Amino acid sequence: MQRASVPYFLILPSFLLAAVIILWPLKEIVSLSLHDVNRFGMLKDFIGLEHYRSLFANPDFIAATWRTLFWTAAVVIGTLIVSVPIALILNEDFYGRGIARILIMLPWAISLTMTAIVWRWALNGESGMLNSALRDLGIINTNIQWLAEASTAFPMQILIGILVSVPFTVTIFLGGLSSVPEDLYEAAATEGAGRWDQFRLITLPLLKPFINIAFVLNTIYVFNSFPIIWATTQGGPANSTDILVTYLYKTAFRMGRLGEAAAVSLIMFAILIIFTILYVRLAMREEKQ
Amino acid sequence: MSKKLKRSILFWLFLSPIVVVILFPYAVMAISSLKSATEVLNPTWWPDELHWQNFPEMWRTSGIASALANSLYVSGLSTALTILVSIPAAYALSRYQFAGRNAFRQFLLISQMLSPIVLVIGLFRLVAGAGMIDSLNVLVIIYTAFNIAFCVWMLQSYFSTIPRDLEEAAWMEGASRTRTLFTVFLPLAVPAMVVTAIFTFINAWNEFVIALTMLRTEGSYTLPIRVFSLVAGRYTVDWHYVMAAAFVASVPVAILFAWLQRYLVRGLSIGAVK
Repeated sequence: MQRASVPYFLILPSFLLAAVIILWPLKEIVSLSLHDVNRFGMLKDFIGLEHYRSLFANPDFIAATWRTLFWTAAVVIGTLIVSVPIALILNEDFYGRGIARILIMLPWAISLTMTAIVWRWALNGESGMLNSALRDLGIINTNIQWLAEASTAFPMQILIGILVSVPFTVTIFLGGLSSVPEDLYEAAATEGAGRWDQFRLITLPLLKPFINIAFVLNTIYVFNSFPIIWATTQGGPANSTDILVTYLYKTAFRMGRLGEAAAVSLIMFAILIIFTILYVRLAMREEKQ
Repeated sequence: MSKKLKRSILFWLFLSPIVVVILFPYAVMAISSLKSATEVLNPTWWPDELHWQNFPEMWRTSGIASALANSLYVSGLSTALTILVSIPAAYALSRYQFAGRNAFRQFLLISQMLSPIVLVIGLFRLVAGAGMIDSLNVLVIIYTAFNIAFCVWMLQSYFSTIPRDLEEAAWMEGASRTRTLFTVFLPLAVPAMVVTAIFTFINAWNEFVIALTMLRTEGSYTLPIRVFSLVAGRYTVDWHYVMAAAFVASVPVAILFAWLQRYLVRGLSIGAVK
C-alpha cells in the first residue's frame, strides 16, 4: 500500500506546479475568449464565438496569420538547410574545430532580445553598420532604410531568426552524428561507395529521426517567437510585420481587447496541436514502411 | 601539405560566410560600445578614440547593476527549483510502473506546446489576481513551471540509461532505497543534471515576454527588459550606452556557455535518442 503511493508522491510537486501555472491560465483564456470582456478584464455576457467571428473578419488578423505561417516555414526550413552541412563539417576532425563550434553556437548563449536590439542598430539607415559594410563591398550605392518597410524588414527578421535557430539545430544533429558507427562508413568505402553515396545512403537515413525532432521543436519555438520582431519593428510599420504573437500582445496589452486576444491565443494553440499531431502521424507512418 | 591541413582550410573556407554573418552583430555591439556619443552615429569600423568610460557611465546611469542582480536571482533560483522538482518526477518515470504514468507523460508533452506567450493573458490574470505583479518570485515560479517538461524528459531518458544492477547490488548490500538513491544513483546522473541546469538557466536568463508583462517598476527589471527599455519608446536613444549594456549583459553567459558547450552536445544526444 505504502509502496504503491511512492511514485505519485514523487511526481506531485512537478505536476502541481505545472498544473497551476499552465492549466489555470488556459482555463481562464478559454473563458475570456467566450465572454464579452471590458478593458479591465471584467467578464460580462457570454457571447459564444463572437470574438472568433470578428477576428476572422479582420484583415489584419488574417494577414498576420498568413505571415506567421510564412515566417515559421521560412525560418525552420532555412535553418535545417543551413544546419545539416554545418553539423557534418563540425563532426569531422580539423584544425580549429573547437573554436568553430563555439563561434557557431554563440547566438544561443546571447539573449535573443540583445541580438535583436543590436541588429536594430546595425540595420539603422544612416548610422547602421550593415549599410556601410555593404557600401564598402560595393553591393549597394545608397543607404537602405531596412526597418522602414516590410519588404526589407521582414526578410531581415527571417535571416535573424535563422541565425539564432542554427545553434540548437546543429547541436541536435551533432548528437545524432555522434551515434553513427564509424565502421559503417569503412564498410561502405570498401564496397566502393563514394562520399555522396555514403551521405545519401548512411548519414541521411540515420540523421532522419534527429531532423524530425529538430523540425518539430523549431516549428514550435519559431511559431511562438516574440523578441526578434518586437525588438526590431514591434510589428510595424502599420502592422506590416506583425505575426500572431505580436498581434496577440498588441491586442491584449495595447488595445485592451482581452477577449479577442484570448481567442488569438487559442487559435495559435490549435494550429500548433494540429501541426504536431499531423507531423507525428506522418513520421510514424514513414517509420513503419 | 598534410591531408588534415588541406581539409581544415577547405572547411574554414566553407564555414567563413556563416561565421561572418553570426559575428557581425556582436562586432557591431563591441565596436559601438566603445564609441563616443557623437561618433556612434557615424558607421565607421574603428573608433577614432576608444571610449572606455562608456562602461562606468552606463553602469551609473542605466540601472544595469540592479537588473544584473535581478537576473541572477531569478535564473539561479528557478534553475535550482526546476532541478529539485524534476529529479523525483524523472526518477518515478524511469524506475516505477504506475497507473497514470502515460497520462503524466502526455501532460508534460502538451505543457511543452503551450509556450508562455500563448498563455500570457491568463498568467497575467493569475498573477494580478494574487496581487503579485512586479514580484521576481512570481517569475521564478513561472519559469520553473515552463521548464519542468523539458527537464523531466531529459533527466528521465538519462536515468533510463543507468543500469538497475548498480542499485540492486547496493540493496543487496543492505543499503536502503533512499540511501542508494543518494550515494549510487544521483552521482551517476550528474552530467544530465548539469545539462538540464544550463538549459534552464539560459532560458530564464533570456526570457523576455513574461518579464515584460509582469515587471512594472524599474527596480525589478531583469536584464533583457532593462536593455529593451533603453531603446523602446524613446525619442533619442543613447546607442553607445545601449551597446555597452548589451555587452555587459551578454558576455558572462557567453563565456559560461563556451566553456560548457561540449557537455551540451553529449547531453542532448543522450536525451534525443531515447
